[in-house]
Amino acid sequence: MVSKESCRNEIRAAIEQLSERCLHSAAKWAGEQLVGIEQDPSNFTPSNTRFQRGSSSIRRRFSTHESISTPQPSVGFSHAATPLPEEDEVTDCDLYYLAKSYFNCREYRRASHVLRDQMSKKSVFLRCYALYLAGEKRKEEEMIELEGSLGKSDAINRELVSLERELSALKRTGAIDSFGLYLYGVVLKEKGNETLARASLVESVNSYPWNWNAWSELQSLCTSIEILNSLNLSNHWMKEFFLASAYQELRMHTESLAKYEYLQGIFSFSNYIQAQTAKAQYSLREFDQVEIIFEGLLRNDPYRVEDMDLYSNVLYAKEACAALSYLAHKVFLTDKYRPESCCIIGNYYSLKGQHEKAVMYFRRALKLNKKFLSAWTLMGHEYVEMKNTPAAIDAYRRAVDINPCDYRAWYGLGQAYEMSGMPFYALHYFRKSIFFLPNDSRLWIAMAKCYQTEQIYMLEEAIKCYKRAVNCTDTEGIALNQLAKLHQKLGREEEAAVYFEKDLERMDGEGLEGPNMLEALVFLATHFKTHKKFEEAEVYCTRILDYSGPEKEKAKSLLRGIRMEKTGFPSMDMEHFPL
Amino acid sequence: MAGLTRTAGAFAVTPHKISVCILLQLYAPSAQMSLPFPFSSVSQHNRLGLYLLSLTKSCDDIFEPKLEDLINQLREVGEDMDAWLTDHLTNRFSSLTSPDDLLNFFNDMRGILGSLDSVAAQDDQIILDPNSILGMFVRRCILAFNLLSFEGVCHLFTSIEVYCREAHSSSAQYDASNDNLESLIQHDQMDMEKYIMDKATEEIKLQKNASGSIPFHLHTPEALFKVTEGLLVTRKEKSRASTKKIEATPITRASSSTADDNLVDESLFLRTNYQIQGFLMEQADAIETHGSSLSSSSIESFLQKLQNLAPELHRVHFLRYLNKLHSDDYFAALDNLLRYFDYSAGTEGFDLVPPSAGCSMNGRYEIALLCLGMMHFRFGHPNLALEVLTEAVRVSQQVSNDTCLAYTLAAMSNLLSEMGIASTTSVLGSSYSPVTSTASSLSVQQRVYILLKESLRRADSLKLRRLVASNHLAMAKFELMHVQRPLLSFGPKASMRHKTCPVSVCKEIRLGAHLLSDFSAESSTMTIDGTLSSVWLKDLQKPWGQPVLSQESGSRKSSTFFQFCDHLVSIPGSVSQIIGASYLLRATSWELYGSAPMARMNTLVYATLFGDSSSSSDAELAYLKLIQHLALYKGYKDAFAALKIAEEKFLTVSKSKVLLLKLQLLHEHALHRGNLKLAQRMCNELGGLASTTMGVDMEQKVEASLREARTLLAAKQYSQAAKVAHSLFCTCHKFSLQIEKASVLLLLAEIHKKSGNAVLGLPYALASISFCQSFNLDLLKASATLTLAELWLGLGSNHAKRALDLLHGAFPMILGHGGLELRARAYIFEANCYLSNPSFSDSDTVLDSLRQASDELQALEYHELAAEALYLMAMVYDKLGQIEEREEAATMFKKHITALENPQNEEPNMA
Repeated sequence: MVSKESCRNEIRAAIEQLSERCLHSAAKWAGEQLVGIEQDPSNFTPSNTRFQRGSSSIRRRFSTHESISTPQPSVGFSHAATPLPEEDEVTDCDLYYLAKSYFNCREYRRASHVLRDQMSKKSVFLRCYALYLAGEKRKEEEMIELEGSLGKSDAINRELVSLERELSALKRTGAIDSFGLYLYGVVLKEKGNETLARASLVESVNSYPWNWNAWSELQSLCTSIEILNSLNLSNHWMKEFFLASAYQELRMHTESLAKYEYLQGIFSFSNYIQAQTAKAQYSLREFDQVEIIFEGLLRNDPYRVEDMDLYSNVLYAKEACAALSYLAHKVFLTDKYRPESCCIIGNYYSLKGQHEKAVMYFRRALKLNKKFLSAWTLMGHEYVEMKNTPAAIDAYRRAVDINPCDYRAWYGLGQAYEMSGMPFYALHYFRKSIFFLPNDSRLWIAMAKCYQTEQIYMLEEAIKCYKRAVNCTDTEGIALNQLAKLHQKLGREEEAAVYFEKDLERMDGEGLEGPNMLEALVFLATHFKTHKKFEEAEVYCTRILDYSGPEKEKAKSLLRGIRMEKTGFPSMDMEHFPL
Repeated sequence: MAGLTRTAGAFAVTPHKISVCILLQLYAPSAQMSLPFPFSSVSQHNRLGLYLLSLTKSCDDIFEPKLEDLINQLREVGEDMDAWLTDHLTNRFSSLTSPDDLLNFFNDMRGILGSLDSVAAQDDQIILDPNSILGMFVRRCILAFNLLSFEGVCHLFTSIEVYCREAHSSSAQYDASNDNLESLIQHDQMDMEKYIMDKATEEIKLQKNASGSIPFHLHTPEALFKVTEGLLVTRKEKSRASTKKIEATPITRASSSTADDNLVDESLFLRTNYQIQGFLMEQADAIETHGSSLSSSSIESFLQKLQNLAPELHRVHFLRYLNKLHSDDYFAALDNLLRYFDYSAGTEGFDLVPPSAGCSMNGRYEIALLCLGMMHFRFGHPNLALEVLTEAVRVSQQVSNDTCLAYTLAAMSNLLSEMGIASTTSVLGSSYSPVTSTASSLSVQQRVYILLKESLRRADSLKLRRLVASNHLAMAKFELMHVQRPLLSFGPKASMRHKTCPVSVCKEIRLGAHLLSDFSAESSTMTIDGTLSSVWLKDLQKPWGQPVLSQESGSRKSSTFFQFCDHLVSIPGSVSQIIGASYLLRATSWELYGSAPMARMNTLVYATLFGDSSSSSDAELAYLKLIQHLALYKGYKDAFAALKIAEEKFLTVSKSKVLLLKLQLLHEHALHRGNLKLAQRMCNELGGLASTTMGVDMEQKVEASLREARTLLAAKQYSQAAKVAHSLFCTCHKFSLQIEKASVLLLLAEIHKKSGNAVLGLPYALASISFCQSFNLDLLKASATLTLAELWLGLGSNHAKRALDLLHGAFPMILGHGGLELRARAYIFEANCYLSNPSFSDSDTVLDSLRQASDELQALEYHELAAEALYLMAMVYDKLGQIEEREEAATMFKKHITALENPQNEEPNMA
């Protein structure tokens, strides 16, 4: 285990260096982790603990984890491998200060101009970085200016070419530091040269691991587990953060959760880790857990907007209108022009059944960030609710084209096509969604329903799908019931009985009652009676007697029949073996 | 949703349009002069006017010429004043130093327009009529400029800078030594351009060689491709030239990549939706025509660019789908097809479906199903295709889209007739569509018939001429291949006579070809406009622009005439394709009915007239027909030579039938030369090509086992051959392949004849003849008659007279239309008949026919029969006492016999 103190010192130095280079978001991230480390008792002052006065749930979580993580030996973290780089001398400090202030005022071109003749690595980096950001800003503007009838024109960052040339020259001569390598990686990625970009970013994080920006760029380039495993990363505790986030992106949620739990041993109060854990739990559909985490987060950090759309999704799924509206109001007051805030408001309206308004807010979210994935998917859901299939399909398809692994959007596409009476066409999309999330019973059930439609009517395939759904622990219990019914329909009494029994078991276990229960009981009673298993038949019949309705009468007659047959055994024998 | 309602793109000001405006200013300056300053004669002035007219017309073209190209063209137009013109143009551009200058420029432009009441105009004054084409152009430019926001003006300004810089960059290096030695510079520039041009032609040639030396006939896409290629090449050359000057090393990766970068953002000015759609349509045609011989990656890169420029243009996905389809990439094709329909909801770009009211809410996903079905069909998944098409039928019935329904039914019938489905009942039985469910109890052919009729009826009432035409053709095909009988009345009264009806085939073909006179009523002019305008410009250049265009004229030799007509009346490619298909079908029907010359003629007509516009698979079919003809009538040497050419050309076509034909020919050849092992191998390979699913690819399977039986027959394993033939007959009966039945019967007769059981053979031969008669298979009938005659003779020489009579009855048909083998057999048999009569003395006739036979058989390398002919010849000579000739014939005989016994000695030239 790496000592908390050394971690703290590393991060403190890193924040200094990162903000010196105007890498504000990386500095912000590092700062969050810094206060996430449990404070020393020595400098335990009331103001320091402000961030740590978390909810009881977090305390609980924290205490359990500590008990797990303390006995662990220090594996994986080799702390001394990367010493903190020394600051190189800036030749003209004054100019650098000016450039930095310009940069902080978002006057990027001005900043890069000030540093035009500076040769120190730090100045070169800031100049290039400012230039890159200036190009990005111009690109965004141009995209809006050039928007034509056929969509946005191909606006590109015009600084990329010159930046690439300069940085590659610097790299060749070796006059490049890890920050330069990071920028080089970003530029290469923008230009579409992914392998080189990866190499450059790996080099950057290996020499300076505290730059979270570099890690997250690298993570976005790891689109498969093979690529991730092929990276040659030196050990550092930052690597664990990276791996956790990469696993999450690759839908390996349990692995990612394990990493986060491990990290919580040091960064026990990190909001970032909490949020990421919540994300993973959300993917595993542990909504209650997610809710607890987010409640705690909001208590600690009431003005947080990041990841809050996820919280709203949970509230939506739990149909907690009031809580959702409270959340929406809060983020609205904090920063209404964030895609997350718009999504939360959209979710609220959707829950209230006002789909037009919901669409409006999702649209606003997309205006703020055209690649905001969940807004596309959610908008698709809204259009489905509004029965506007083409628009829904369009929205889902956009989501899929942004991230082809988004199983929700694939599922939505399938649903939309099924809705418009094209089950066979829809099957392809369901297959796609299942490919990305093979362990979700809902997807399998949707596909099975598709096969079951009267237009296709491929019952064997449907049965296969339901079986898969059962294997994936179908919580709603549709699959078992359907399996039993399908087998019944196909005249396979034995299989039907097996599944009805299983279904009954499940319903008993969950204490459910309903028409399904009655149906299963009736079937089983008749089935066992015809197969001469009177003991079982009688048990089921008596259970039916607890219900009222026509089934009760049927059960009575069944019981009567059973008794008749039981007493008239010899006569039956006579029938069977006529002498 | 943005994807659903989209207006056509507006007219945008581009640097090229500004240059045209500058030239227009020259052409019609606001000053009052009868002849403006630089022009020395009225004709010169008019010539510039014409040129400008063509430029304005082609302004809707997808590619805009660069300043450099414009200057080149000006040089040809302007003759002695070219220098002045180009100078003026470049000076005018360089005087635009700030956005304000642009504003002033367009204010000045207003001055050259006359007032709308042109009464005040004086006679000798040149005034641009605001309602003329040129005037309209100027007005549109001014309007478009006025609509621009300041950002837009800034963008225009930067693009003008780029536009000029490009033109300068090529001559920049010469500017350094510029001491107003204009002529020298010009000379240098000319050199440079010549160099570039040479390089460009070289590259194009290379490209052509690489793509299998196919002359690019299709006019416009070719031109467009050249434009793109040209762009690429010249740019590369340019950067090469400039790098040379600096460091004298070969082109570096960096510089080439920058050149490409420039290409993306500078050379393509985005045009209106309408133009791009038209352009994409042309590309689609090109993909279909050239098949996979067209480099798919080049199209891909182009589409990528287009998509970057216009992400909302979903048609790009469709093009990509087509491209992937033709390069046989199933997953990518599927992906793109689905993507296209997800985005466009089937409402974009399909002109076959007129946009009707209320479709915007529901989308037109039935078209997606139709396309998906056709894709599965193409990739050879008949069951999937049928499922999807069934769903398409259902959905189009639900949304009452009759047009789509008609097309779907046609596609379905096509699928059934091409591939055939064994277990259709299980698939179709589950469907709810009334059309298909009635058909579930019928055989595949009957279903095809019903589907076709349904589709035809709908297409007729909806006035879908192309579909009507192609349905008629499909119907003709059906009539040709399948035996008519009353469809649903299977009572004792119903006549069970099977027959085909050539008249109805002919009628259907004619109805199909009727389209040509009819199609003009249709108004699908989407592509035509853009095409015509660019062609217009090109034609205008021709008289002047020899040096520029000379390289083009070489590549297209044939059919320039037809192309000319093409542009004049602008027959859409699809129409000419259907008409072409009717010729192919004619050829096929003649083939079946047994007229070789007519079949050949029709194929030739197709290959010469429609070869350019046809799809590659149709063209392939025509080639194969011609090769088959060669093999039958000219012998294998020619056929194999021709096959080699066809192989080079069509092997890239997916589902190529070239391999099939090659195997057939090799089998035939091996059989004739007596190389039975090879024949067997070929036969097996042929069988292996067919799909393993029951009921699919029946024709291929029948063919393979027919050949197997023949191989066995040649190996003298009669009982086995008979067994194979019997089971084959049963298969044919099961799938009601009537025409194949006739040939199987003939084969059975042949087997019995060879095995010496003439009596057993007779009924088969007679049955075959009667089949042929009712199906109008004249040539097959002649050949069956020959077999019958042979059987008679086999019964004993006392039947020789009857056999001879039979033969003479069939002789006209055999000699007129029969292939080499059949003719030779007839000749030999005739000689045999004569010789069987001991009193026969007219040995000249016998010798004549024998000589004929042996010549033909030598061309065919049919050793067995040739030996027989020579043997007979020797006998006759012997009888006549002509020892010398006898010896000659005998040695020839020996040669053939040894060749027959050692088939491996001759190296198999093609295998």
